[in-house]
Amino acid sequence: MSDQLTDPHNDAEQQTTQAPDATSADEAADGAEAPESPSKRAQKLEQEGEIAADYLEELLEIADLDGDLDMDVEGDRATVSIVGAELPELVGEDGEVLDALQELTRLAVYRETGERSRLMLDVSGHRADRRADLERTAESVIAQVRESGERAELDPMTPFERKVVHDAVAAAGLRSESEGVEPRRYVVVLPA
Amino acid sequence: MLADALEHLVRGIVEHPDDVQVRDKQMRRGSVLEVRVHPSDLGKVIGRGGRTATAFRTVVGSLAGPGGARIDFVDVDRRR
Repeated sequence: MSDQLTDPHNDAEQQTTQAPDATSADEAADGAEAPESPSKRAQKLEQEGEIAADYLEELLEIADLDGDLDMDVEGDRATVSIVGAELPELVGEDGEVLDALQELTRLAVYRETGERSRLMLDVSGHRADRRADLERTAESVIAQVRESGERAELDPMTPFERKVVHDAVAAAGLRSESEGVEPRRYVVVLPA
Repeated sequence: MLADALEHLVRGIVEHPDDVQVRDKQMRRGSVLEVRVHPSDLGKVIGRGGRTATAFRTVVGSLAGPGGARIDFVDVDRRR
């Protein structure tokens, strides 16, 4: 079935264009899921992680790359991390290879489950490091906006990066939104 | 290795994995990985706006190292 309507990316892109405040599938997907029992949900996320790990493990084997797979569930999404080796070829410049591999992995999960996955892939702690950097950046911008009372625009970021910043701003009690068009979409922090 | 890696990545996302074929074709200006899938899977491997095709190129290009890799998704219906 190559029916365009069943392609998870199409859903993602439509959400991106239709929801002015939500800036990506990652940021917009929360309201899209049907209610289900927490244990069933947890089981599904574990299953997502297993499908993803199988897909990635075989890739590592074929490409003769070292690395172990670490599966977890964080909040409402499955996470899979390739750990134990540096693997720059799976991260790429600014994590572009990591994002591409995450996208393919989500499609592999979708093929098996029939449901769009928000699985998060990490390689050798790249996202964890990036998250810590972004949180520091967000903190200083939040302080600046509080002091000046004026909005502040950040550099263009990927959906994952914007989500980290939005979360940090919300935690600090301020509001933020995304402006611009991919791949140059950026976060704006608004004064209280 | 690159053809095998690409074949595995493609097989994992299509409805007809047994119909996936990847051939490393030697051209005058370097090699091209030719991907053939079941006609009904072509839209899936290309994705909206070529987004999925780009993801394959990014990952396999990075595994290939300097110079990257060329990937051609062959539309078997058009028999080009």
